[in-house]
Amino acid sequence: MKLMDPTATPEAAQVRLAPRPKSLQGLRIGLIENTKFNSKALLLKTAQRLEQRHGMTVALLARKRSPSHEVEPDAVREFKAKADFVVSGIGD
Amino acid sequence: MRPPAPAVEVESSSDPSANTSGDPSAMIEAYFEHGWTDGLPVVPPTDAAVSGALAAAGLGGSETIGAIPGRNVRVTAGKVAVNAVMAGCRPEYLPVVLAAIRGLCHPAFAYHGPASSTGGSAMAAIVSGPAARALGINSGNNAFGQGWRPNATIGRAVRLTMMNVMNTRPGLLDRATLGSPGKYSFCFAETEQHLAFEPFHVQRGFRPGQSAVTVYASNSLNQVYNQLATRPEPLLLCFADALCHLGIPNVLGFNQSLIVLAGEHSAILREAGWTRTQTQAFLVEHARRRVADFKRAARLPGEIVAADETAWRSVFDDPRDILIVCAGGEAGAWSACLPGWGKKWTRAVTVEVVTGDAEPQAAS
Repeated sequence: MKLMDPTATPEAAQVRLAPRPKSLQGLRIGLIENTKFNSKALLLKTAQRLEQRHGMTVALLARKRSPSHEVEPDAVREFKAKADFVVSGIGD
Repeated sequence: MRPPAPAVEVESSSDPSANTSGDPSAMIEAYFEHGWTDGLPVVPPTDAAVSGALAAAGLGGSETIGAIPGRNVRVTAGKVAVNAVMAGCRPEYLPVVLAAIRGLCHPAFAYHGPASSTGGSAMAAIVSGPAARALGINSGNNAFGQGWRPNATIGRAVRLTMMNVMNTRPGLLDRATLGSPGKYSFCFAETEQHLAFEPFHVQRGFRPGQSAVTVYASNSLNQVYNQLATRPEPLLLCFADALCHLGIPNVLGFNQSLIVLAGEHSAILREAGWTRTQTQAFLVEHARRRVADFKRAARLPGEIVAADETAWRSVFDDPRDILIVCAGGEAGAWSACLPGWGKKWTRAVTVEVVTGDAEPQAAS
């Protein structure tokens, strides 16, 4: 007797990790705010610690349309141009 | 929580590990073992049953019904049909299930939030138009309750599709803190017997002769009782109060809410000649609390200042965010208020019920 599989496998997107920085010193930080109540505060606090410990600077803070939506392609392009790495996180 | 079943590349496959031997109960157990059910037994699907459902929808199975951005998920008609059969749907229900799934995949619904949030929304599927009557979808007594196959199985098919196809499994990408019983199944029809206003789908831009399904992320369900009101104003004050209690999710967000008017309450509005717009405006005006109330309950940040005791804050900023549908029995002083999930970014979506390759009309 056969079972019929009701599931669908997510279609794998070809992605690769960005090159890891050799040093954290002086990197440019990108922040993605997800619009949750404490999101911005949490990210800025995180960035402050990174600035203090590693001499980083916040290069860009982008606000998503909502927590449910992906980052806009224009924002992704801007992050690529202006930031060395990006921090994203929820802020309930 | 059982981990999701390993991916199987074909829709129909022999499973040598399942010792089903033609025994229906063993077959049902095998679906449990794979983690493919909602916790209730499913109807083991057969090629014939799935083909029959697809034929009723005028589809072959490979058609794309929708996709979920960010999850790399593509929903095909064939997979929806398999889950509809598992849910117990008759073949002719599939077009309604597909319309609901199209609604969930619509960009305006912004699926990821309401589907995965700790808020644990039930996805209400509200069927309007001739298909509701033709399929026997209950819109009367016990419209939210048990006892009607199309209501139970269409709603269940939507949830099974969410779990199995749209990657929305409890504990993984379904992070509901409590969830709701409506997450098993939540489908009902709009009544044709005691409408207070024009039909819901007509108000959303469809013709009366069209059939449509509205999907709505229902955060909770609060029955509203009023046996003494004979005029709209006192009756609607009860709804306004239910829409702005201190624990309501939309203190900061101005999200949509759904009102379902049953027969006696619907009659009060109809006999008073109130329009939908008038009713929505009254509710928005009265669904409010003092800023100090919200701050005292830590629903708004900040210290209470003297002005907060007299400053009012509404929980809606647009009357159109209050959706009103008529359903339920004609007797009884009950209606319901179903606060929505999220903020402005998540909208109820209405999709026309179609068969074949017709492009369905959609509105949000």
